[in-house]
Amino acid sequence: MTGLDALPPGASVRRRADGFADHLVGPAARRRMLTDRFIETFEAWGYGFMVTPLIEPLDTIAAGVGGEQQSALFRFMDSDGALLALVGERTVSVARVVATQLHAGPFPLRLCYAGSVLRNQAPNAGRRRESLQAGCELVGAGGLAADAECIALAAASLERGGMEHIQVDVSHADFIPGLLESAGLDPLARDDVLAALARRDLVAVEAALEGTEAADAERRLLLAFPTLRGGREILDTAAGGLRGERPHRALEQLAQLWDLLEAHSITDRVHLDLGAVRDWDYYTGPTFEVFSVDSGFALGSGGRYDTLLSRFGVALPATGFVLHVDRCHDSLVRRAGALAAPAVLQVSWESDAHAEALELARDLRSRGLACACDVAAGGDGDVRVSATGVHWLHLGHEEHGTVDAAVASFAARLP
Amino acid sequence: MSGLRVALPGGTLFEATCSLLHAAGIARLDPARFDRELSIRDGDDVYVKVRPTDVPVYVEMGGCECGVVGKDVLWETSRECYELADLGFGQCRLVLAAPRDSALARGVWPQSLRVATKYPASARRFFAARSLNPVVIQLHGSVELAPLTGLADCVLDITATGRTLAANDLVEIVEAGASTARFIANHAALKTRNESVAALAVALRRAAAERRTAGAA
Repeated sequence: MTGLDALPPGASVRRRADGFADHLVGPAARRRMLTDRFIETFEAWGYGFMVTPLIEPLDTIAAGVGGEQQSALFRFMDSDGALLALVGERTVSVARVVATQLHAGPFPLRLCYAGSVLRNQAPNAGRRRESLQAGCELVGAGGLAADAECIALAAASLERGGMEHIQVDVSHADFIPGLLESAGLDPLARDDVLAALARRDLVAVEAALEGTEAADAERRLLLAFPTLRGGREILDTAAGGLRGERPHRALEQLAQLWDLLEAHSITDRVHLDLGAVRDWDYYTGPTFEVFSVDSGFALGSGGRYDTLLSRFGVALPATGFVLHVDRCHDSLVRRAGALAAPAVLQVSWESDAHAEALELARDLRSRGLACACDVAAGGDGDVRVSATGVHWLHLGHEEHGTVDAAVASFAARLP
Repeated sequence: MSGLRVALPGGTLFEATCSLLHAAGIARLDPARFDRELSIRDGDDVYVKVRPTDVPVYVEMGGCECGVVGKDVLWETSRECYELADLGFGQCRLVLAAPRDSALARGVWPQSLRVATKYPASARRFFAARSLNPVVIQLHGSVELAPLTGLADCVLDITATGRTLAANDLVEIVEAGASTARFIANHAALKTRNESVAALAVALRRAAAERRTAGAA
């Protein structure tokens, strides 16, 4: 039976839902290790690890994220008929926790998390519907030093996780909207240009600017959009001829941020990218994305979101970021191949030496060596225990000795 | 740093795409060679010929850093790519067309409407923008047969010359959109390979503009 006409009996129970993944032993270990490295780094920078639920009321999520993200949520009904959703990101949950349980401070508050997020995307698109995210939120700090800290921490975490040649693109959420305002565009034309930028459709941006009274300096900048990037020098290039106060303020903030990033010693990995397309309704200040040449997607992204907390009744500035663990894992696999399952020593025993074998296994584990003890006598493992002593292989030679000698021999091979 | 992987659309845009790449001084690709080879290296860059609808898939997922594809394909896809330049060629239009003797052709929109189309996503947005809720019937070829057989009242279809519509006694009711070939790029590639991708966009845009000027003269 081919299954094309009808599934064979029993096959439906073996299906896995589209867009979801099983992570087998080696890859799952590396994925967990990546997450651990990220969280260790977050904690080393003073961020407290916390856990939020996988499910939030739809109303809670709707207070934080826009309509497009909301429509991509897995939604279902609570026992009282209220709508619930599986979280599509976790910043909103952290904001809810801060507003309800941590609003007394002390501020600034440094929080971090790691967990699954779910998106109900079309199946067969090759996109994940469940992915693992690790992130940080720095709440109650309005200054640029907080933004610089988040950028430096995101970069440090990715590098600690083994990502190589990362590139951080820093932008400002108010630059493009401010530019459009100072360009003298009427609100309708402004919305057209913003919508085209949000769609990443630069052909439409050009068309929307055509026939408007946008001033030359602004038009020139908007059309140069994908190439508005580089080091600190592009800020001066961009500022030339700009009239409005709003875009100038954004550029000034980026200049100060650049100096702070220099103090963090990471400007060799940073580009300023004035044309970055981000969610301009959500972000209110500096934003950033982290890339690597190994990945067609951003490995991490973040920015300042000073209006989110007020939607939960607490007016606090905040900035933060998220790292995409699965994309980082993909990037490592692409560069170095999939990770093999971690090595485990197999301990075998003759029927008169089961207790000695279990003792040996306990000793090996207490030294940090992973080992599995046979569940039946007579096996041919890496270590074989009999009443007359222990046999094991060392550098191709068969060795024989006491339990203590065997443990010492294996422990000496630990890095 | 290694070169770029560029996705080229097979089908009607293919030869014009190769010719524009040549005119722009980017690559000299013999279209016939792609009949024998799936991918062709030119300098550091690699060119692959794929179905037009697959171009945004390759580019979004990072299989290729950039590509060329018709705007009509981009209307229909949910893939997120940067659209960097209008290349001018491959002009066609997405139009709503109905039989010459229909009410629609006389300017009367019936209360219930059945539309046959190969472009369901474009149809959904086109009608939603006009607050219309027709029954959309997705077909995979020869949609002009749908009104002839009574399957649908009208069609939403791509036309380059209007000849196929006319041959089937269909008249254009309204244009939904005009399409040309576009140069698209992957999000991360635009950031990590900015100079190469932007240089390609600039060269293609210049060659397209020269071609337009030459065509007008």
